Amino acid sequence: MNREPTADALGVHERASATPERPDPKRQGTLGRAPAWAEGKLGLRAQQEWFAAIVSTPQAEPAPVDERSASRLITPSATLSSLERIDIYRRGYHARLIECLVDDYPVLEHALGEEAFEALCRRYIARHPSTGPSLNYFGQYMADFCRSEPLPEPGFAADLAALEWAIVLSIHAPTANAIGFEDLGRVPSERWPGARFRVNPSLRILQLGYPANAYLQAYREGKRAALPAARATRVAVYRTGRSVWRLELEPTMVTLIQSLANGATLEAGLAEVQASLAHEPESEIAKKIAHCFQHSVSSGLFSAILL
Amino acid sequence: MANRFQLPNLGIGLGLRTKHYSTILEQKPAVDWFEILSENYLRTEGRPLDFLDQIADSYPVVMHGVSLSIGSSDPLDRQYLSELRALRDRAKARWVSDHLCWTGVAGKNTHDLLPMPYTEEALAHVVGRVRAVQDFLGAPLALENPSSYAEFAGDSMREWEFLGRLAEEADCALLLDVNNVYVSSKNHGFDPLSYLNAMPFDRVVQFHVAGHTDHGTHIIDSHIGPVIDSVWQLLAVAHRRSAGVPVLLEWDAEIPSFEETHAEALRAREFIGAAA
Repeated sequence: MNREPTADALGVHERASATPERPDPKRQGTLGRAPAWAEGKLGLRAQQEWFAAIVSTPQAEPAPVDERSASRLITPSATLSSLERIDIYRRGYHARLIECLVDDYPVLEHALGEEAFEALCRRYIARHPSTGPSLNYFGQYMADFCRSEPLPEPGFAADLAALEWAIVLSIHAPTANAIGFEDLGRVPSERWPGARFRVNPSLRILQLGYPANAYLQAYREGKRAALPAARATRVAVYRTGRSVWRLELEPTMVTLIQSLANGATLEAGLAEVQASLAHEPESEIAKKIAHCFQHSVSSGLFSAILL
Repeated sequence: MANRFQLPNLGIGLGLRTKHYSTILEQKPAVDWFEILSENYLRTEGRPLDFLDQIADSYPVVMHGVSLSIGSSDPLDRQYLSELRALRDRAKARWVSDHLCWTGVAGKNTHDLLPMPYTEEALAHVVGRVRAVQDFLGAPLALENPSSYAEFAGDSMREWEFLGRLAEEADCALLLDVNNVYVSSKNHGFDPLSYLNAMPFDRVVQFHVAGHTDHGTHIIDSHIGPVIDSVWQLLAVAHRRSAGVPVLLEWDAEIPSFEETHAEALRAREFIGAAA
């Protein structure tokens, strides 16, 4: 079981009123023709659409207007042209959103390298502009986005992004405490079969094609890890109190947790686990079922017993 | 002279930043009050609110937002306003502030404080929206003058005139950021005292100070480093003209330790005297 560092800032984007700064990427291409709507006197709506269109244009591209058109709406200063003044906002827009994605996906950035990750972020911003007041969920599409991008190992990148996003989600999920064995001890024996268990509300179970959790853990421990080969893994990500946990799961635990999360009684859930072990030697089955349940409880995956 | 909204002088406060959570909760330092970034605590049910609940139990809290987008030509976001109001009630925030700006249009949010054209059309638009927000919140909204890097060719008035008329016509409060006055004065070439001379100080309920980055050709409101003396001097002038309103330090880039940040905020005492 791996514990995330308890950085209080993790998953929280301090969107202060400050203007962030970041070096510009290289620009390509030439200036496009000024759109017709950039000409003449405009009302508030048109001015804002005009301004936002320029600000959100990817920085690697030329601004969609030339200086002459820009100066009709924005005055130059003593030291900056109209386009240079607008460009301050354009830089700030991209820098802030890149910062947000770097905060959410530090290990993906490490895996891809800073330059490739920043390029990925810029494409992500163009594809998934923010539409809400909070940045807490701005990065939510990254795993799917990685699958569609020309990355060295898009499947691994997607799994790593899914894992890091699960950490963010666990931070924003309702806080719950875990039950322990002392809580189990208070359950009358005749109530056991019908007992139901509330799964920790922050719990997310990821079924991954790559050992992304092992890679992430190596990163946390400061070790250099090569991009791993494909191997199916199952990881639980959840939070108890302020601590976020990552736990690699045996298939039996996945079966039990999913069954209980769907409202099954403990008896029914354990029966499902037993059925999944039908291929095992009979002498091992009871041992594995007991281990599966005990490990789930000791790891803090349940937040209440419902009798 | 009290501010016309009878909002209290909370003293010298700090912008609450996640980096300082542990120090604040474990050491309970003597800080007059904290300003929270509203959006950090919206759209979450988890850890950020746990921290906020504990801090709000021990300190006065004020909410400072960046996504109200009061100047946008998009409709007001009622869902956002509902969440803002619920957060205010939860944190028992003394008041709610945001910026004179717009952050997006056509449903998109740039998460940046974009500049307003200072025209009669824009003024009428923002006045109506501020009134609607205040009705919704059931309390005065404090609007902050932003740092800006661009001016519209069609402007028919200066920012201070726009802000003063807005405050009067919408009957709202003002959060005067003297660093922003300084930054914009350099970027647009005006005398910062002209700005202060035009402020309706009976409507000013809070001051901001912060550091910035001077690039030579322009200044960026980066909230980095200590506050420069020229900004402190502006605070001194503004504070003398005010009803004795609270001062808050914003520090958002390369944030130092809690102790260093707080010590920088307390430098305000040198410029506002015994009023703090």
